[in-house]
Amino acid sequence: MSELTLSRRDFLKTSAVLGAAFVASTQAPVESLLREIKPEEAEQIKASAGEVKVIFTGLGLCGCGRSGAPSLIFVKNGRIIRITSARYDMKYKPEEFNYDAWTIEARGKTFKPSLKAMNAPFATAARKRIYSPNRIKYPLKRVDFDPNAPPDKRNQANRGKSGYVRISWDEALDIIVKEIKRIKETYGTSAILTAGVVHGYSKTISAHYKVADFLMKCIGQWTEEIRNPDSWEGWYWGAKHVWGEQFLGYSLTDNAFLDTLQNSDLVIYWAGDPETTSWMNVTGEGATDFHFWLREAGIRIISICPDQNWTAAIHADKWIPVQPNTDAALMLAIAYVWITEGTYDKQYVDTHTYGFDKFKAYVLGEEDGIPKTPKWAEQICGVPARIIKALARTWASKRTSIAHYLGGPMIRGPYSTEPARLEALLLAMQGLGKPGVRVTKGGKPITTFVPPPFIPFVEPPLPLGAPQMFPRTLTPTAILKAPITWYGSAAFGAPASDQFKKYEFPVDGYSEIHMIWDLCGCHITCYDGGEMVDAFRSPKIEFILGQQPWLETDMYFADIILPVCTVFELEDVNTGGGNFTLIYYMPKAIEPLWESKSDYDIVCTIAEKLGPAIGIPDLLDKYTGGMNLEQRLREVFEVFYKASPYISWEDFKQKQYWVCPIDPRWKEVPPAWEWYWKLPEGSGLTTPTGKIEFYSTGIAENLPNDKERPPVPHYIPYGETWQESKLHPRAKQYSLLLVSNHPRWRVHAHGDDISWINEIPTARIRGPDGYLYHPVWIHPIDAGKRGIKHGDIVKVYNDRGVVLGAAYVTERMIPGAVSMDHGARLDPISIDEKIDRGGNINLLMPRKPWNPYRKGYDPFMCVSGYLVEVEKVDINELKQKYPEAFNRPYDPAAGLVADAWIKR
Amino acid sequence: MKTFVINLDKCVGCYNCQIACKDEHVENDWTPYAKPQPDTGHFWMKIIEMERGSIPKVKLTHIPMPCMHCDDAPCIPACPVKAIYKRPDGLVIIDPGKCNGCKACIDACPYGAIYFNSQLNIAQKCTGCAHILDGKADIPPDVPLNVPRCVNDCPSEAIKFGEEDELRDLIAKAEVLHPEYGTKPRVYYLNLPKPFIAGDVYDPEADECIQGATVTAVDLSTGRTFSATTDEFGDFWLKNLEWNKVYQVTIEHPRYMKKVLGAIATTKDINLGSIPLYKKT
Repeated sequence: MSELTLSRRDFLKTSAVLGAAFVASTQAPVESLLREIKPEEAEQIKASAGEVKVIFTGLGLCGCGRSGAPSLIFVKNGRIIRITSARYDMKYKPEEFNYDAWTIEARGKTFKPSLKAMNAPFATAARKRIYSPNRIKYPLKRVDFDPNAPPDKRNQANRGKSGYVRISWDEALDIIVKEIKRIKETYGTSAILTAGVVHGYSKTISAHYKVADFLMKCIGQWTEEIRNPDSWEGWYWGAKHVWGEQFLGYSLTDNAFLDTLQNSDLVIYWAGDPETTSWMNVTGEGATDFHFWLREAGIRIISICPDQNWTAAIHADKWIPVQPNTDAALMLAIAYVWITEGTYDKQYVDTHTYGFDKFKAYVLGEEDGIPKTPKWAEQICGVPARIIKALARTWASKRTSIAHYLGGPMIRGPYSTEPARLEALLLAMQGLGKPGVRVTKGGKPITTFVPPPFIPFVEPPLPLGAPQMFPRTLTPTAILKAPITWYGSAAFGAPASDQFKKYEFPVDGYSEIHMIWDLCGCHITCYDGGEMVDAFRSPKIEFILGQQPWLETDMYFADIILPVCTVFELEDVNTGGGNFTLIYYMPKAIEPLWESKSDYDIVCTIAEKLGPAIGIPDLLDKYTGGMNLEQRLREVFEVFYKASPYISWEDFKQKQYWVCPIDPRWKEVPPAWEWYWKLPEGSGLTTPTGKIEFYSTGIAENLPNDKERPPVPHYIPYGETWQESKLHPRAKQYSLLLVSNHPRWRVHAHGDDISWINEIPTARIRGPDGYLYHPVWIHPIDAGKRGIKHGDIVKVYNDRGVVLGAAYVTERMIPGAVSMDHGARLDPISIDEKIDRGGNINLLMPRKPWNPYRKGYDPFMCVSGYLVEVEKVDINELKQKYPEAFNRPYDPAAGLVADAWIKR
Repeated sequence: MKTFVINLDKCVGCYNCQIACKDEHVENDWTPYAKPQPDTGHFWMKIIEMERGSIPKVKLTHIPMPCMHCDDAPCIPACPVKAIYKRPDGLVIIDPGKCNGCKACIDACPYGAIYFNSQLNIAQKCTGCAHILDGKADIPPDVPLNVPRCVNDCPSEAIKFGEEDELRDLIAKAEVLHPEYGTKPRVYYLNLPKPFIAGDVYDPEADECIQGATVTAVDLSTGRTFSATTDEFGDFWLKNLEWNKVYQVTIEHPRYMKKVLGAIATTKDINLGSIPLYKKT
């Protein structure tokens, strides 16, 4: 039987069915196509078609506040019946937005983007989120939370275990107001931590991630969580010290895609997976376009990553499997080949960089007696020496760019600062900025009208200026171990020098945290999961207010939960788009379901009651600026977007979107780094020397003895801070390295309950017990050694906890490592023992360490590349030991349901 | 007559088509074209995912499969109550009003395209979104949605749909799945997966990849020959071979001793792994 045989359904023979004498008429009888209808019926049909409302809107998944996935929402009789990809030219002629200018000529070919949105599957399946069995319908109170009990006796240890009861909005608001008032009087409102996470559907006025912060700002003081550079960690904490700020430490990529198509011969996808990660951001499925263009232009694509991710599987010409967290060794070996064979740009290194000699000494083994040869690297990274040599040589002989769109396992593991720095240095060794040589990704032209990327009430990555703040990665540490110190704010856009600045919490005169206001948070599953469980359950936290559309992740730990409506149930504006930049007017598609309200409405409702209670009678006015929603939306449009010269507010509301015209001169924007390469001598970077630094002078000056981020980047398997290497004794017990990527089938923590997606074989695997387990990618060799077959329920564990999954036995995983995406919903078997059934892998990540070199806690987010073991598990044994956990109501298609936690 | 042409080289495995079909038909009643599809378990447009080869020579192929809307559809005569018919535009519809739930059509379809809805007790399958084509889909006139949902929501336009005449050039280069079933499907495919034999060639003494080796595969039954040259990684991919054939593979390079490997059967895609060659003296 060929490979084309369906394994899931048999193709049956047809000859037995069709008798020889049977002559079938394949034409439909005409009467089934036409039927007589009465005039009244005809009127009804016409009228009912008129009942259908179609809205053009952006579904804005993650997107740092912006709305990608332009979609058409069909509403009939108050119900959304269909969501489908929109066309940009639905209401505007292509010439109105200079469509012709969005053309690239390269290699004798012409590339133009589609006029249809390229939506990701979560956009197409968004109805399942709106009508999810996981929706929170009304306010809830934890059954054993008594707001009248002494603050440290509110059964905090039962958070994550107790269920919830329904309460009225009035009751909920009473409790909230009383609690905030009490906390203000006892500690001051700096004891309140706002913890909103930008993942999820993007909005502007109703942006959940900042609505509470703006209220607290009106009140005066609070503690703010700084959004850490969670998808860019290694670049932020590492590469900034090589090539300067670049906002996130990740290279700027202006017009890189144009340069790549015209000039690159080779693109190396180092651990990035834009075929997946672009889904969750502004561009919908935009990266797909770019990859096909690369292939059409004859540009070679090589992917280097531990798992053959989706970009590697669909688009790459070659996949080089590499052990997790060993990229630095591979990179050093490449440098070794270039140095010893003289195949790097010596001139550029001389004039545009600083400290090469010290780097060279390390690479050649003059510093530690170990030359970083391909043979040395082979033992560490698993790439055969001959392949390393061939890679180094082909890279040097071709115009090569590196592509990411988020750095996958390379950038969020222990010591990821080092491969991040080395990547920048390898590019520098080949003349970073010259044609075809830079960091690249799919992109689009600049527009003549540019909506501001961050506006005051949105600004997801930037702190609003609370008197106290700490990076989200240190939230549990700050709660549990205060007072704490650390170095580097972790804020987007902070200069490299900020990383040598000491921060402390609490700040003098302000309080530790005693209340958490969690807005659509997913700390449990996207950030320091295990530690956050502990922090949520600490007796120090007297009150947790949660608000979210779905009863999942952090909400399991809240005391009061308020039901939030989805972006389809509110009115807002936003910017975003895919291949084109849009501004959207987003009308309500349907009324808020059940008792849900928008995040903005909720905060207004709280402000109205809270203000008078805490001596700020005009708090609501302060918060809204005295404006109603329509006025606020108009203010965004006129004052912040400044769009009125281009389209009137009335037209904008009527058309629901406007396409920002392509700037006909967009190709004149030089590609990133070209200006630097063109200088006769490098200068003007924000590094201390103004040049690309092989020897990071800022580090040398401030932390010269930091063995874990030395002035010259090193390969560091393990050390004082992290011990997650096969070379470490811990590996005897936990012999595999876990890779955890941005999820393929969720937007971080969003969409785990979409039944249609759960039917996809790599999304969820139904275990023999009927439960939808999260796949654990494992190579047949590792599976065979452990007696594991495809589909077996397994436990992934280390000394921090146990997470169940189903084995996905695949050749797409390097032996010695396993993979489990982050963001799955917690389904606790035992909160005390940190045993989870849902696939919440972040329970197992390393705890925030005390960094002895920096003498502070290390804010670095280490979610991938740590030691685990995987074994087959006897589910019946667990069922007997934890009967309650296994008897929760469960929807066989959607998984966890809100009702499982609501007691009647 | 309507035709689908699906180009597998453009399919990225996003499953949008499988999901868009559910978005269109779950909880939506498009009688007389189709009654609502159950939330899960039906795949009127289904993706077959194939992982091919072995590490590191692995390819992933996805095959979107709607109903084939066959010109000689065996489901039509199989139906005892004549509920299944072919429209003038070629689309095959199961009339939900007439279906008696006997499942004969499900057994008759060699492509497994028909599903049983146990709640409604009827057989159901892809309609080619005939309700959209006919303007009976609750779509206001100025809204640009006039193709099947799988087509509209495919981000890479891998699925084309239209008049056979207009797609003539593509159809000429395309093939159907299982032509031997004889049902004359109206769904055509470009770039259906053909097996590969891949591997890499290296010099163990020098510890270097061997570039420029010629790798030849000969079909032992027909003598048909395929060849490739190893690149700078020593990699070779002999692509677009034939399924279920037996090949002999020869590797030659002027400076190395010839190597012959065989017999290699293409019952699946083959990764021969890393093959050492030794220098001629």
